[in-house]
Amino acid sequence: MSQNEEIASKLELNARVVLHDSLTRIDARTRSRLNQARQRALAEVQKPRWTLRHGLKLMPITGAVAAALVAALLFFNHAPRPLLAPTESGQPLEVLDLLADDDGLSLMEDYDHSFYEWAAAEGDSASEAPPEASG
Amino acid sequence: MAAFATLASVYSTPALSHGDTRLNDTTAESRSRALNQFLASVELKAFRIAQASLRHEDDALDAVQDAMLQLTRAYADRSPDEWRPLFYRILENRIRDMQRRRTVRGRVMAWLPFRREEDDDEPDPIAQAPSPDPAPSARLEMDEAMQALESALHLLPERQRQAFLLRNLEGLDVAQTAAAMGCSEGSVKTHYFRAVQALRARLGEFEIEP
Repeated sequence: MSQNEEIASKLELNARVVLHDSLTRIDARTRSRLNQARQRALAEVQKPRWTLRHGLKLMPITGAVAAALVAALLFFNHAPRPLLAPTESGQPLEVLDLLADDDGLSLMEDYDHSFYEWAAAEGDSASEAPPEASG
Repeated sequence: MAAFATLASVYSTPALSHGDTRLNDTTAESRSRALNQFLASVELKAFRIAQASLRHEDDALDAVQDAMLQLTRAYADRSPDEWRPLFYRILENRIRDMQRRRTVRGRVMAWLPFRREEDDDEPDPIAQAPSPDPAPSARLEMDEAMQALESALHLLPERQRQAFLLRNLEGLDVAQTAAAMGCSEGSVKTHYFRAVQALRARLGEFEIEP
């Protein structure tokens, strides 16, 4: 063994003594906190873990939930259509507004049959009349 | 007598007919007990190693706690022989993270006009109480030796300090130290040799009174 190695061994030995002595002098508060940390870490081991076994146990529940979802989807896809067909603008509520409006009702009450019949007849005769010769 | 002991050990094993649950409970319990023993055996040394690197008690405690949690979460199922190097590997990673974060925090804080003092915790009166030890002079000498060693260790590069503490405080061999440090055995030997050289240059033979 060389001189250097011998000195290094002595240094290591003394360092070990000092380091291990320092462990005995760690105060009670720190020891207590380390103990608490250890207990917290061990509590992690006690927690149930997700395994294949758990997955198999939960299979019936998962199946029931999936079936309920499928049933709900089918039900809502075949639900009755709305009574009012959508207008061009795609909003059937506009029709409801017209009907519910007071002005709309008064127009319905003052419905003038003769005017509309005359207008229709005029339209028909105009379409049947031969086109005028130009020039 | 030996035969009785053998039989007793056989009969004391949990009955398999009670189902897997009972067996699993027993396994988890024994693993938890083994982990408790392991963590209790390393916690003080781990704290000292973390403290030597971080030089802050609360940070050292946080680092040890995080390492414990990480080990139990991720590696509790591993063989107990693997726990020690794994634990110190996790601890060293945690220490490095904290050092990096501290460096960043220091840079940011340097820009702030009104920064707090680094350690403004009130001193714990129990921790500050004088020791009831009957031989204070011997204690004082060891305290001084420890302070000198700590100062010299702090001046070492991180990897050298790590190698020195893992070998001399935790008592890991070269292979285990290499596993804990995540490097080759050759690197461990180099780091360790340089650490010893540097410490010898600062502390001499580091004589202490027996």
